[in-house]
Amino acid sequence: MGTTASQLGKDLLSEYQELTFLTKQEILLAHKRFTELLTKDEKELQNTRVPTERILTLPELKSNPFRKRICHVFSTSEQKDGSLTFEDFLDLLSAFSDSATLEIKSHYAFRIFDFDDDGTLDRGDLEKLVNCLTGETDETRLTRDEMRQLIDNILEESDIDKDGTVNLSEFQHVISRSPDFVSSFKIVL
Amino acid sequence: MTSYSNGAFFNPAYHDSETLEIDRSSSKTHHTNPYAGDDRAVAHYSTGPTSSDDVAGRVPWGGWQEESWKGRESIPMGLMSTRPGSPSWQHDLNHSTFQIPPGSQYDRSTSVRLPSAPSGNMTMRWRGITMRRMSMFPNGNPTHIAFTEDAIRNEMENEEQNLVKELVALSTRDRILAIRDLPMSVDEKKHIRSQVLAFKSSKQSRQFTCFADCSENVSLSFRRCGYSLRSARQTLELWHGIMKEIGGTFGTSVLSYFVFLKWLLMFNIFSFLVNFGFITIPLLVFDPSPNIPPNVSFRGLEILTGAGYFQYTVMYYGGYSNETLKGPVEYNMQLAYFFTIAIYMVLCGIALIFSMASSFKKNYVLADPSSNKAWQLLSSWDFSITNEKAVRQRKNNLRVQLKESLSEKAQRELLTLSEKLKHFGVYLGFWLLSTGLTVGCGASIYYLCQYEQQQATDAANWSLLQEAQTLLVPFVVSLMNLVVPLFYSLFNKFEHYSSHRRQIYALVVRNVLLKMSILAVLCYYWMNVVAKKFSCWESMVGQALYRLVIFDFLFLMLGSFFGEFLSNVIGTRLLPRLGVPEFDVARNVLELIYAQTLAWIGIYFSPLLPAIQIFKLFILFYIKKVSLTRNCQPPRRSGRAAQMQTIFIALLFLPCFVGALSMVAYTAWILTPSEQCGPFRGLNNTFSVVGVWIDDLGGIPGSQWVVWIYQNVIKSEIFYFLISLIIIVIIYIFWQVTQGRKQLIVLLRQQIVNEGKDKSFLLDKLQSLQKCQPDKKSKQKTQKKDEHSLGGQSNSNAMVQALLARQQLEEEEEGRDTGGVPVPSDISTSSALIQAMLARQRAYDQDGDERLSSSSALSQAVQARQMAEGQETDEYYSTDFSENPINTSSAVAQAMQARQRAEEEDGADDLPSSVSSVMMQVMQARQIAEEEDRPQWVPAPTQNPSPAGSSALIQAMLARQQAQNEYDDGY
Repeated sequence: MGTTASQLGKDLLSEYQELTFLTKQEILLAHKRFTELLTKDEKELQNTRVPTERILTLPELKSNPFRKRICHVFSTSEQKDGSLTFEDFLDLLSAFSDSATLEIKSHYAFRIFDFDDDGTLDRGDLEKLVNCLTGETDETRLTRDEMRQLIDNILEESDIDKDGTVNLSEFQHVISRSPDFVSSFKIVL
Repeated sequence: MTSYSNGAFFNPAYHDSETLEIDRSSSKTHHTNPYAGDDRAVAHYSTGPTSSDDVAGRVPWGGWQEESWKGRESIPMGLMSTRPGSPSWQHDLNHSTFQIPPGSQYDRSTSVRLPSAPSGNMTMRWRGITMRRMSMFPNGNPTHIAFTEDAIRNEMENEEQNLVKELVALSTRDRILAIRDLPMSVDEKKHIRSQVLAFKSSKQSRQFTCFADCSENVSLSFRRCGYSLRSARQTLELWHGIMKEIGGTFGTSVLSYFVFLKWLLMFNIFSFLVNFGFITIPLLVFDPSPNIPPNVSFRGLEILTGAGYFQYTVMYYGGYSNETLKGPVEYNMQLAYFFTIAIYMVLCGIALIFSMASSFKKNYVLADPSSNKAWQLLSSWDFSITNEKAVRQRKNNLRVQLKESLSEKAQRELLTLSEKLKHFGVYLGFWLLSTGLTVGCGASIYYLCQYEQQQATDAANWSLLQEAQTLLVPFVVSLMNLVVPLFYSLFNKFEHYSSHRRQIYALVVRNVLLKMSILAVLCYYWMNVVAKKFSCWESMVGQALYRLVIFDFLFLMLGSFFGEFLSNVIGTRLLPRLGVPEFDVARNVLELIYAQTLAWIGIYFSPLLPAIQIFKLFILFYIKKVSLTRNCQPPRRSGRAAQMQTIFIALLFLPCFVGALSMVAYTAWILTPSEQCGPFRGLNNTFSVVGVWIDDLGGIPGSQWVVWIYQNVIKSEIFYFLISLIIIVIIYIFWQVTQGRKQLIVLLRQQIVNEGKDKSFLLDKLQSLQKCQPDKKSKQKTQKKDEHSLGGQSNSNAMVQALLARQQLEEEEEGRDTGGVPVPSDISTSSALIQAMLARQRAYDQDGDERLSSSSALSQAVQARQMAEGQETDEYYSTDFSENPINTSSAVAQAMQARQRAEEEDGADDLPSSVSSVMMQVMQARQIAEEEDRPQWVPAPTQNPSPAGSSALIQAMLARQQAQNEYDDGY
């Protein structure tokens, strides 16, 4: 078993550099961190999938309230179990990197917040989103009334065409107006 | 709203419908894409009978038309330059782009967009493609899977091909950016890239040239170079780990302080390198030993005072000679000193202006302070927070904030007049108080300076006491800077500002006023008193600045002790009610700004001051970091960190840098340099060094042009007059453009809202139709017929409305309305636009409905009309090939007539004749509308500017506007 750096070929590295927003160091670091997640047998194999549970042991993701969604969105697994290959992992880091565009970031943020994967943020999604933000337990949750009011407010502000849901373009519109988003939608290894 | 209650069934159709369809459907595909094997995804693609390769394969679209399309296309997209490709893809491309005319419109108007242009362009294209995919296969009914997997795959491949072909046409750099910007997984990107490369190489083998090869190589190596530069920058990144830790525990807003600190540090390193390299090193090389009088020795106190021994070193202005250094090359110290400082100042100014402008653009232009409060909270989850405790805390804070905002909204009541007056009185009182404090500080500093000036002598050798006395002024200044802001914070507690932001702004303004007035008094003293009294006054000023910098540093450390450590102790031990303090970003950043102002003022008097500044900032970083992690808790409110950052940079520029610059410029232009020391001794003012140099140059043949420029440009008033005039005119023009765009944005926004209303109205209609449908169904024998009749039925209903709107053919249509479909009586009062749209959509849909499933028929009415049109094309392509362009309204009347005829025939075939006649009416109306419309298409592009934000929404808005133009003008 060679060192982590040599496992990534030079061609592959430059290809990743071209396809993601990451720099060489970041890719190498990502590879190192990813290999640490693998068990001994898996290291021998190519393109191993690391299950969600093990990905979530990463300190960068461990306490994130959206961790499961993040894995789910970036996973290319057929079974939709949220397991990540190295390339998926790179995708994740690329979208959360400093140099990713607002476009990419808001697109993935939308998918992360779209809990039922139906392409729009409807009331159910927004409710889950608020719950994720405020904590899931009963005493931390907002009351039913507050929740309804909050979601009404959100829809009133962002649902431009008044169809009762927030779609991607409306979401991106809102995001483009809160400039902090780019700096806060960031995960650095 | 009804749409919502209808839930899952209606939603997809809804989201593919016209308003904002470009973006919306992209979302659709993006999220279905990853699970292409999913059943649902298949269901999505199930109904549409066409796939774009049918369309693509169909060449006979009419040559003239194709030409017109090419014309339209090649301007905006800029990627058709290599359009020799197969005719099939040519068509396909046309086909796909016609559906997003707004996109191309938009692109055309933004041909000047810089690096982001290609990516934006590509994204639009990609979205266009995905949109089409979605609208071609609308929410299918699973029972009607008429579409095999093969067809779907074909369709997808086809679109991919389009994408690839577009990418091929881009330049290498743009292509990489474009691919990187696709919201797909690495694997898909890889696939696309390999296809692009394959395509490219196959083409290149045909038209291989040495030049292309070379340029390819060069660009490749440039790219490699760029990557390695980026990597190198990453390696050099200072404090990466610490920054991450701070961000992980305290969030972005606190982190922004450290980012700012780091930025200042880099700035100072740059200025140190410039000054050291061009002024100090040459001097040291030629004359390494400072000429220190024999009776002066290093006593230790100099480190604090900067006086005595230091006075004769290269630390200060006085330590530099005015000679031309003679060595292997001649080095004119005077010119070097002057130009280094001047160019440094100009570079600083440019750097500040650029960072300020870009930050303004990013954070202010797009931000809308009036709304988005709730979203502010929701979209502000800081993904960089990794600390478990911090996450919990942040959740708590968010919950409190959400509840607060809710209750605020609930009980937002108007203040009575007396309350308003009371608030106003409180503000006024505190503002007067704080201004009084500022004035008092300024005055006391002035008298203190007077006192110091009486004590100080011009002697070379000061006693220790004399030297220590010089510390009085910097001590008092720094003390004021430490204590008075605390008072201001106290005032803030009593003022009860309505918003957190206003509170911070008030605090910032007061602090800046204080600091600037103190500095202004000091500068006045230096310019008017010190400059006349001392023989080597520049060095005296340099010393004073040195002392200020050093004391500022000491007090910053004290400040973090008192500001954070003490309040932590008080908060945890003595008064638990107060709690652990938060890190006050605003106060700390203002301290940094003040420190930087000192360094800028001092650059002329003490060229090596940046070195002290570097040291100071470096230490400060660690002190603040320790103080932060030990004493502070994460901020309770997630303020608008990015906007504060912008304000800070603006403050750094406007009062601080501009103030320092004018101070230095005043010194260089007006004041007489000291006679005994420094590089400019013997001159009337510093600037005359340039005049002397020019006179010298005049003697050298070949450099007459420099003299000419100096005489006619630098020294002439008319030049500056003209320049300012031109700049003012340009500013005015830009301002007007901005105003126009603002209005346009308001209009577009309004239109989106209107569209939303239209849509909900249509949905209402459709739902009510659907409800009365079941009893009709039983009469139908086959489902096919059912569909047909449904199409006819809803068609008739639509016609009713169209007629009501136009007040024509009313009786005829009423007779047709046998199905008992309820037509609301208030229909005529609702806008004609809606009804016309409805009529039009129905008219199209009738064709669609015949072929599509019944349950989805209704929702299809609202769907992107491309779908219907695409199907129509499919059906009548032999006669009705002009269908598609009509959509983008570039169709000529000829095409319209042809089409109308075709539709008449069709109507006669399929529907009762009354319907066909109605349809004819509709079509004629539309034709007129479109004819009227056409002249407008010429100015349209200029009307569509490239909004700075280039947000997807605005693109969608543009789309809507164009669509609306069609109707508004027609009906």
